[in-house]
Amino acid sequence: MARKPKVLFPLIGAIALLIIASSAVPGYGSKTGQAPPEAALVGNAACRDCHEEVSDAFAGTIHGLTADASGRSAGCESCHGPGSAHIEAADPALIHNPGKGGQFEQSVCLGCHNTEAFDSWSVAHHNRGDVGCADCHKVHAEHQAWTPEYVQKTCYNCHGNVQAASFMPSHHPIREGKVTCLDCHNPHGGPVRFVQEETGRELCLSCHPEKEGPFVFEHAPVNEDCLVCHAPHGSVANNLLVANEPTLCLNCHAMHFHATVEGVDGAFSVPQAPDRAGVSTVDGWKKGMLTKCTQCHTQIHGSDLPSQAGSTAGNTLTR
Amino acid sequence: MKKILAYATGGLIIWSLVAASVMAQGITPVSKYTLWIGNHYTDFADYRGKVGEYDRGQERWLPEFILEHVSRGEGQFTSFKAHYFDENNILGTLTSRVGSRFQADFRYRSSVPQKGQDLLANLETREAINGNPGGKILTHEILDPGAHYSVHRRELEGRLDYLVSPSHNVKFMAAHKTTLQSGTEQKTSANHCFSCHVTSNGVKVEKVIHQLTAGLQGDFGKHTAGYEFAYRSFESKTMAPTAYYDEAKHPVNGGSGAEFTSRQNFSDTSLPYGTYPRTEKVQHKVRFKGPLGSGDYATSLSFSKSFNRDTDLDGTSWVGSVSYAYPLDVRTRLIAKLIGTKLDVDEVFVDVPTYRRGRPGPQSEFDFTRYSSLNRFDLRGSLEVIRRFNEKVTGSVLLGYDNIARDDYPVHDEGLTTSRFTGEIKVRYRKGLRYSTAIKYRMEKTTDPFTSGRGLFEARGRDVLNPPAANFAFVFYYQREGLRYQNITTQPTLVHIFEWESSWKPDKAVNVNLGLKGKYDKNGDLDSLDVNHLMIQPHLALNYMPNPRWSLALGTNYSHAKARGPVAVALFDG
Repeated sequence: MARKPKVLFPLIGAIALLIIASSAVPGYGSKTGQAPPEAALVGNAACRDCHEEVSDAFAGTIHGLTADASGRSAGCESCHGPGSAHIEAADPALIHNPGKGGQFEQSVCLGCHNTEAFDSWSVAHHNRGDVGCADCHKVHAEHQAWTPEYVQKTCYNCHGNVQAASFMPSHHPIREGKVTCLDCHNPHGGPVRFVQEETGRELCLSCHPEKEGPFVFEHAPVNEDCLVCHAPHGSVANNLLVANEPTLCLNCHAMHFHATVEGVDGAFSVPQAPDRAGVSTVDGWKKGMLTKCTQCHTQIHGSDLPSQAGSTAGNTLTR
Repeated sequence: MKKILAYATGGLIIWSLVAASVMAQGITPVSKYTLWIGNHYTDFADYRGKVGEYDRGQERWLPEFILEHVSRGEGQFTSFKAHYFDENNILGTLTSRVGSRFQADFRYRSSVPQKGQDLLANLETREAINGNPGGKILTHEILDPGAHYSVHRRELEGRLDYLVSPSHNVKFMAAHKTTLQSGTEQKTSANHCFSCHVTSNGVKVEKVIHQLTAGLQGDFGKHTAGYEFAYRSFESKTMAPTAYYDEAKHPVNGGSGAEFTSRQNFSDTSLPYGTYPRTEKVQHKVRFKGPLGSGDYATSLSFSKSFNRDTDLDGTSWVGSVSYAYPLDVRTRLIAKLIGTKLDVDEVFVDVPTYRRGRPGPQSEFDFTRYSSLNRFDLRGSLEVIRRFNEKVTGSVLLGYDNIARDDYPVHDEGLTTSRFTGEIKVRYRKGLRYSTAIKYRMEKTTDPFTSGRGLFEARGRDVLNPPAANFAFVFYYQREGLRYQNITTQPTLVHIFEWESSWKPDKAVNVNLGLKGKYDKNGDLDSLDVNHLMIQPHLALNYMPNPRWSLALGTNYSHAKARGPVAVALFDG
């Protein structure tokens, strides 16, 4: 079944075209400015003389209120660098303005925000998509707690398809404010996509550890990837399933043997007992055995207890 | 729970005292308190929701309040919020930073997901023989009709960060999270013989999850190194429910007991069911990051071990990752990522009674060694070039390759290896923070995707009897290895994804989103069955948040999904 991918050359060609085409685009010069080496620190008050509105708002931020952990000057010049040359010449080019730099100019923020959560920022999904710190964080605005509502608004600014999914009948309680995007995702980057844990499976197990095992009797897709069966942002099917039972189960498993009674060599038929209407109907067995598999196979994520049927070696996850 | 609350309260008091003592050394802090008091009522008339899993309302007037406190001063910041919606829905957060070295964060939240009750009404039928009732029977029994199932989930978590040495950026962190789940949930037990009889009952739930994390990091020149330890435990505190499993006999005349019993693993006995094993997990992780050449690297290596304390089964995991971002020029970056995962789980011998034990004719031993489907080496890598054409336009091209080598799945020592090639191209246009639009196309080409290697709940790797055993003119269903070891799958071999997202912010408080997501996949190995899925999802959304206390979300999305799977063929009589 192995087939050679036929898309390698087109994609390599696309990369080459991208680079060649971009060479025709006028250069994008840095607008971030830079303080000269001889510039000296002047303090927040000097900045406020000209930037009163921004300076006052900044005073209420966590940056403006707390001392700089790196030991540099607390306040404006922690990020913008020494301001004396800028003040004397009134030249915007003589002060560092990291907000103008976009994705290539995040080092100022990372100078202090350098815990594990930021390890992968240089290769993070957002960074790669030209989303910088200032796209989500208001550095100069008054402190805003990351309440569930505020997290939603910030993330949904760009991720409208996730917001749409969260309005499906089955969803994680995001819109109810019980779970936020940050419970699962690290917007500053992660080893896999941008989830908080090292693998997608481990992420799910961090809140649902009863499904981890190791179990004696396993269900392979549980070990493979939770996304084989679940759509975490929302689904029309119950329990965040990608499709309702039994359709989902029948994607991998053949029809249950009790759904028919004629035997493998006979025609597909359904048992009928017209005289027992309401109990045994035309579709009685189909209804019984092809409606909701987990009514009997309750331990679908794994079990340590053998099930009753002998020929399955206790492996049917019913107990 | 009382202990936890006591610890949490004590911790908060101590922290407040520390904060107060430090505050006293600085300037007078500015404090602001806000108290919201009100009532709410929810009307469920004409309510037609499915289960209303997270609907919080009750049909009565309930008091509600929110208390907020923010204080700030030189070197100090505290933010506190408590929201009482009802006794089951409470949210509390506290963030405090004292000086330049301490920061603490606490959070408590609770909710009650509603579980609904499956009435099992579809489980009531009986087969017919020659037009007359007889043969197999399927029945159900609800032992607590009208029950209301729900599980109260409470989470308490805290994190402390301490900057040990500013000059070397030495930081220590410790975090804890406790999750308690209590309530009642529906459990069903199924008798396989003599009748298929499913019994439903309400079962008490009391689950406890503890998570503890501690870490240390520091700078060595331009490089940062860190170590983190994590521990997690899970335990169900309730006694396992038990069910009586019928004495096996013929479903119509009650005879042939010995024959039917010989085909079951157990019969005429009460046994526990629906249990949750006690599990623990420990993890050690080291990480490094820093500059390398003109670029930046980040790498980590973690080892974790998970324990099933009820069965003494262990699982180990090694995860290593390396990423490197390199500027090809001032506008172009190359990003390389590689992550490898090695998973191993203990094997276990499953000893079950002989099939048709003590009966004349063929007997079968279904004992087997369970080799875990988790055993594997998973290697995933990607290479991406990102080009910033100008201030507004960015483009990227990504190539990825995954290789998942399963050791023992579907068959021991003959695992399935999946390889996946990924290509992605993306262009983004943005005009400041007011407007952005992005188009992405992604393609995944997979050979030998994950498959259900056990088509019909059968244990893998077992000898099969084919042709029919002596004295039997037919083949038992479990002998049909072509079905049992099917190598087909509905997982796709080819995936096309198209996404368009645009965002417009006419005002600071307003955001408008418009987008379209389309996905088409098919399994090229199953052309004769034409397995494919198509999903198209356009959406439009408006978010209005004039201030943190008011938010309005309006939106509409249309999801069109079409799936074509393999025909579920009629098989055989059980």
